[in-house]
Amino acid sequence: MPPRDGRGALIHPELLDRPERRIDGVDKTTGAARYTADLVVPRALEAAFLRSPYPHARIVSVDTERARGLPGVRAVVTGADVRGQRLGRRLQDWPVLCWDRVLFIGDRVAAVAADTREIAEEAVRLISVQYEELPPLLDMDVALRADAAALHPDAASYRFLEGRGERPAVPHPNYQGHVVESHGEVDAAFGRAARIFEHEFTTPRIHQAPLEPRAAIVWLEDDRVRVVSTNKAPFNLRDQMAATLGLAKDRIVVDNGMIGGDFGAKGLSTDEFVLYHLAKAAGRPVRAITRYADELTTTNPRHASRIRLRTGVDAEGRIVAHESHALFDGGAYAAGKPTARLLVEGGVSTLEGYRVPAARHEAATVYTNNVPGGHMRAPGQPQNVFASESHLDLIARELGITPLEMRRRNVARAGDPTTTGAPWHGPDLAALLDRAADEIRAENARPAGRGVGFALGVRHVGRGSTTISLRLERDGTIEARTGVGDQGGGQHTLIQRIVAATLAVDASKVRVRRLSTEGPQDPGIGGSRVTPVHGGAALAAANALKDKLAGRSVAEAAGALNPGEAIEVTATFDATAEDHGACAHAIEVAVDAETGTVRVLSAVLAVDVGQVISPVGLRGQLEGGFVYGLGMALTEDLALEDGRVQAANLGDYKLPTIADVPPLRIVHLSDGHGVGPYGARSAGELVNPGVPAAVANAVHDASGARVRVLPVTAERVWRELRGT
Amino acid sequence: MTEHRIRFTLNGEAVDVKVAAERLLVDLLRYDLGKTGTKDGCSVGVCGLCTVQVDDAPMSACLLLATQVDGASVRTVEGLASPLQEAFIEEGGFQCGICTSGQLVAADALLRAKPDASDAEIADWQMGNLCRCTGYYGITRAIAKARDAR
Repeated sequence: MPPRDGRGALIHPELLDRPERRIDGVDKTTGAARYTADLVVPRALEAAFLRSPYPHARIVSVDTERARGLPGVRAVVTGADVRGQRLGRRLQDWPVLCWDRVLFIGDRVAAVAADTREIAEEAVRLISVQYEELPPLLDMDVALRADAAALHPDAASYRFLEGRGERPAVPHPNYQGHVVESHGEVDAAFGRAARIFEHEFTTPRIHQAPLEPRAAIVWLEDDRVRVVSTNKAPFNLRDQMAATLGLAKDRIVVDNGMIGGDFGAKGLSTDEFVLYHLAKAAGRPVRAITRYADELTTTNPRHASRIRLRTGVDAEGRIVAHESHALFDGGAYAAGKPTARLLVEGGVSTLEGYRVPAARHEAATVYTNNVPGGHMRAPGQPQNVFASESHLDLIARELGITPLEMRRRNVARAGDPTTTGAPWHGPDLAALLDRAADEIRAENARPAGRGVGFALGVRHVGRGSTTISLRLERDGTIEARTGVGDQGGGQHTLIQRIVAATLAVDASKVRVRRLSTEGPQDPGIGGSRVTPVHGGAALAAANALKDKLAGRSVAEAAGALNPGEAIEVTATFDATAEDHGACAHAIEVAVDAETGTVRVLSAVLAVDVGQVISPVGLRGQLEGGFVYGLGMALTEDLALEDGRVQAANLGDYKLPTIADVPPLRIVHLSDGHGVGPYGARSAGELVNPGVPAAVANAVHDASGARVRVLPVTAERVWRELRGT
Repeated sequence: MTEHRIRFTLNGEAVDVKVAAERLLVDLLRYDLGKTGTKDGCSVGVCGLCTVQVDDAPMSACLLLATQVDGASVRTVEGLASPLQEAFIEEGGFQCGICTSGQLVAADALLRAKPDASDAEIADWQMGNLCRCTGYYGITRAIAKARDAR
């Protein structure tokens, strides 16, 4: 039976099945697409920042006289000029410019606007700052000692944005966020366990590494502050700026260009706040394009983690009790986290996707003098899944059953209690695991040095509210207006395809216009939100327009319009339903026993993402998510030494290249019953979290080496093989 | 700071400009000549975003002084007219698009030099062009498709 939309009307699978032609395709393949750094703003100055060379120090004095004297310098701003102003997505704890103390290497103390970037950078070198070094807290355990100095003694005075109550209390001042959650009688359940296993896992800081560095332009026009930014959630940036700078929200207008990749990084903006002060002082627009070295060393990478897991099983290997203790290095500021608990939420509930009758989870983010942590594609979840899925493999091997059998015995089936206590409702996880195992031919014997690893990933479907309006013109075309930008996820094509399918017109009849913050409120990109929220709003708007047409086709209704007339509808949609996408990973590797070198031979993803709306876009998210996870598994490590990021360029920070990617098979299994438009689910954060665990498990299967620290380098495998 | 007059062809058109000795080709293209299709990513010749063709050879414009193209023929994404572009759209060869100009310019140079390049040669050639979105699968499919269409 053909599927029906939420109101029982037949939908148009023939339209959803039509070849997808990306709406941004021509612009992006001809060089016509304009990104923030491509925009020309007349009379714009260029900005540069002076950054702290110390992880923790008191600022004794700042002398800007020589910088101000350099020809071409138009404005210099220091921390003293912005004293008290702090920025952040939820907790505003990050100084716009530091005035009393610096808390990490790269913290900013002064800024210059000049005629050229070179002059601005030269002027920055002429600013002299006297520091008094303070003992840095570079280790989470040291930061959490009872006698450790509080890195933010004035935390009680910090602004906590947006209505969801106060900042939650924490048991030590150097916690950013801290939570303990449990369900069931955990201690009693451990008491009944036949065996109990405990393991610890560590993951490093890694960088989102969108290839476009951040950029922003700020200027003052009449009584408005105009901002063009690579930020992926312009309304949120507007609200943050209004709070920090003490301006009314409607005095600030934030706009985007195309966004050259995000992966969570571009939820946090820091330059825009300083640019406002520079633009005000200079009386001219000021632009900042971040040097890639500064991207890597001073922005908001994925949190390093240490996760301890303890699990009790019965005589058949079924989980009866579980507890986790997860610490995430939050660095100097919590400003990069938008979440109400200031946690990386995907790291809280370990063993997601499995039946866990009783569990206790303790998770925390910790203040240190390291580079501040931020959000990155499924925040907290890759760390969690690496630990959880490695732990399951280790338990299976101790019990003498295969890792696949361990998963089959414990995977959550409909109605089972999951690790949060909530019953499982969502994709058929057992079927996904079985299919992945079949596709990789898990049961086949393999030559020495080869092995297969599994992992399961489940990811929530995002929620939230947005508004999309449609305008049917006399020529039969429809303009869709949305506040969501384009960071590459294909959101505008998604909106176009849903509107076209719902109104039974060719996709080429629907164009999409992005509005700035002068348009209706929009939550921006992130949290696996676009398909359910923006897709849902597109469907609601299309249905509203259909109602207005009162049975006429789009062409008929357009033909009846007089010159200058149009039919307009606006729909606000609030996506509230709970749902999950799921992915079972199966990866085959070869390990060289002499050198520890790991080669990924092939990979299978069995996924349930509900109804497919944009096949090309979806495939890209799944393939790209896989390689994103492969980088975390094998090469990416934003290592610190004495608080200093060691990889200051993309030669040292190793991203996967085209030569590093193995053959990949993607299998779709779905009943199409997602909560998104037409039964869709989200895909953007679904695949990357499981890849590191599947690789580590495959390496163990192939060689016997169990690597508990990411990335899985040849050196680590070699050391494990030799027991050193 | 010395100035130099340089003459070169850009996408088939004659250019005659004065540039400072230290002006990088990427900045000349983007900021002086308005050809912003060429992007600046890592600025140290690793990521491939700024790939342009200089006398048909792919080069990183962030590592070249503008004066080094005096007398040369330079091609940027704005000068491409290749089946690669349509293939990138059809096969998902891009998402955010920031690496796409460089990918296309590099792949175009490959297919000019070696119209029957094997899949392994494609992977080898494009290694200098990073992509953080696609996982490269769509890029590989697109280049193979354009090659096979010739």
